[in-house]
Amino acid sequence: MSTVQIPPPQVSLATLPLDQKRGIHAMWCVIATEAMLFVAMFGAYYYLGSNKDRWADHVAPKWWLALILMAILLASSAVLMWGEHQVKKARFAAGRIALWISVLMGVGFLALQGFEYSVEWKDVTPYSDTYGSIFYTITTLHAAHVIAGLVMLMYIGVMPRYGDTRRTPHKPYKTAALYWHFVDVVWVFIVLFLYIIPNFQRYMHVH
Amino acid sequence: MATRGTTISRLTTLWESPHTLYSWFATVDHKTLGKRYLATSMLFLLVGGVEALLMRLQLFHSDLSILKPEEYDQIFTLHGLTMIIWYAGPILSGFSVYLAPLMIGARDMAFPRLNAFSYWMFLASGIFLYISPFLGQAPHAGWFGYANYTLTKYSPGMGMDYYALSLILFTISTTTGAINLIVTILRLRAPGMAISRMPLFLYSTTTISFVGLFGLPPLTAACIFLELERRWGMHFFGIAEGGTIFLWQQLFWFFGHPWVYIIFLPATGMLSMIVPVFSRRPIIGYPFVATATVLTGLVGFGVWLHHMFTVGMSDMAMSIFSAGSMTVSIFTTIQVFAWLATMWRGRIVATTAMYYAVGSIVLLVIGGLSGVFTGIIPVDWQVHNTYFVVAHLHYVLIGSNVFPVFAGFYYWLPKMTGRMMNERLGKLSFWVMFIGFNAGFFPMHNAGLLGMPRRIYTYPSWTGFDGVNEVITVGAFVLGIGILISIINFFYSLKRGALAGRNPWGADTLEWSTDSPPKVYGSEHIPVVASRHPLWDDFEEEEDPENDRVLDWGRLTPTTTVLDAVPVGIATIPEDSLAPLWLTITLFGMFLAIVYQRMWFALGALILSLVVACFWMWPRTEKEVTE
Repeated sequence: MSTVQIPPPQVSLATLPLDQKRGIHAMWCVIATEAMLFVAMFGAYYYLGSNKDRWADHVAPKWWLALILMAILLASSAVLMWGEHQVKKARFAAGRIALWISVLMGVGFLALQGFEYSVEWKDVTPYSDTYGSIFYTITTLHAAHVIAGLVMLMYIGVMPRYGDTRRTPHKPYKTAALYWHFVDVVWVFIVLFLYIIPNFQRYMHVH
Repeated sequence: MATRGTTISRLTTLWESPHTLYSWFATVDHKTLGKRYLATSMLFLLVGGVEALLMRLQLFHSDLSILKPEEYDQIFTLHGLTMIIWYAGPILSGFSVYLAPLMIGARDMAFPRLNAFSYWMFLASGIFLYISPFLGQAPHAGWFGYANYTLTKYSPGMGMDYYALSLILFTISTTTGAINLIVTILRLRAPGMAISRMPLFLYSTTTISFVGLFGLPPLTAACIFLELERRWGMHFFGIAEGGTIFLWQQLFWFFGHPWVYIIFLPATGMLSMIVPVFSRRPIIGYPFVATATVLTGLVGFGVWLHHMFTVGMSDMAMSIFSAGSMTVSIFTTIQVFAWLATMWRGRIVATTAMYYAVGSIVLLVIGGLSGVFTGIIPVDWQVHNTYFVVAHLHYVLIGSNVFPVFAGFYYWLPKMTGRMMNERLGKLSFWVMFIGFNAGFFPMHNAGLLGMPRRIYTYPSWTGFDGVNEVITVGAFVLGIGILISIINFFYSLKRGALAGRNPWGADTLEWSTDSPPKVYGSEHIPVVASRHPLWDDFEEEEDPENDRVLDWGRLTPTTTVLDAVPVGIATIPEDSLAPLWLTITLFGMFLAIVYQRMWFALGALILSLVVACFWMWPRTEKEVTE
């Protein structure tokens, strides 16, 4: 049988280090599929608006609180990045403190979002019209992702050893942090699509 | 230096699960789970088949009333769902889960517990769906469940709620399974198995796993919208409240068409493995077949509107999607010509597996051609919602899923059971299935062109559809008999079949270098690969005089780089665990609570799920063997 034959790499297997990358690879896949869930949601948002004269700009979402919420999440991501850096240098106590600060900021985000719902959105309910339904579905779905991210972070926060332990097949800190960054980036897109662009459209509409 | 005997006993101690009830539920072995996937989805094939035969009885003559209209609707919805979602996808997952680690020389999947979780979730979602017929309230809006018929006004029962939530459960199972296969195939390949030497079945499995990652979320979104509108009074599809029914169609078919490739590509991957082995030569055009596979998955995202040509869209949108549909057929054609050329240039060995493979190529070409018909917009408008489409989709799905799966069974079952299947019964089964299938489905083209609409429970006699429907019903029963013969053959051969040995077909890929059935740890020395056809070259894959590649001090398998498969690390493989099963049970309870809107129960089940997940992930020391 004539087949192209190239000698394989000559590496001794027995002396190789333990693999810790599978977890982060799986997390990238999770992020891909979750991102697609939000793409579907944003697609539905625009599709529902496509057969209406006025969409979203009829309410002109007030965007100050949303920007503050974004600032909170991005700051928590920055703190967590600093924590990742500390863990990489084996300063585990500092990493743990950074993680819990991020968790607190995430909880603050949820509280402020609840406040935003009750103050800025009291005229729009999930049951009032399609706009309300899709707005609340997207933002609540994001809040559910924030909660999932918080649970993961808190879990890492109480786990006994989360550095380069010999037997852990993953780097839990890094993996959970990656998910948290993803959740924060989604909020940036929500602010853009659901808050900023409608106001811009309203401005174009009025002038 | 350890001797061979102690190596084997250490590996066996490490990898073997004891035969206890605990192990039965807790096992994470990919071979056990793969076989469970196969058995469960075959069970769904039989259930869906019985539903199909019930429908054919009802349609045997005009104006029959064996089934009431509502019963017929429920049965044809269950038939579609069972076959497309719970049989066609998972059976291929079964082959992938069983074969992928063996083909790449790994000792298990990258995430064995996640693998167990995927299986249990698949089973749970199937059970979840099949609760509804026992309540007499099965979903009745077709497997595609078009809004706004699915809203509470027209579908007041619980059927559509079970539909939406069982589909969400199923997407969880498929997504986790896809992630597992992606990481396994890209990271755990044997040293030297560069991406250019990967078996073609793994190309299709990797492609469809990525397609699943991006194709399933729109279905989840659509089902979330449906449930929110049905039970929580929100507005997405109801036109009176400003919604649009096409939102469902867009989201559903954005999932639906990629799903067609998910249940089609691995089957073509199997053909790309089986046809060359029984043509006694390497496949012709390996790079073309591999590229065509990946491009099918990619372009498969750009064709979904062809399911909606009649809803009224701009000519531009329809033209683009019509062109996309034509483009996809080019990639399938490349594969078909590669198989034909391989057979042409090879010396064919006419085994049952080869019969099924060639038969499926014939059916696939017929189904593909009627697909080109329906991809052309004017023809589509003419035959839309007629039996022509039913004929097309059954030719494609049975031709490119059921027949390759049977080819795969006749080819790989000797590896799984250690015994050869009976060739004479197998060939008989093939001919009965092939004749029955064509008798049952080819006349449907005719019925469709005559104007017989699909999704109807009966038809009046003056339409003149009686004759053709009688033939169809008889054909369907013959097809069923053919499938039964193969099932009988399986149980007969399990007891009486000749012993298979390691490589009964003289095949080229790594799974044939293990024992039949394979040892719990796969191969004793991790194989090293030097060519595209490891067992056909003169390089000895398991040559390892210094016992460097036995990795017998823990549950271990090497990890390699994605493209060149240079070894870079050793992956630890976790032990048996009940956590995947518990997590499945708590999620099942949560979804059941959601169907009945018991949200406090749902919250409780969610918290329980989180507790189980935390227990699952808690770092613990793994089993090690000390001397």
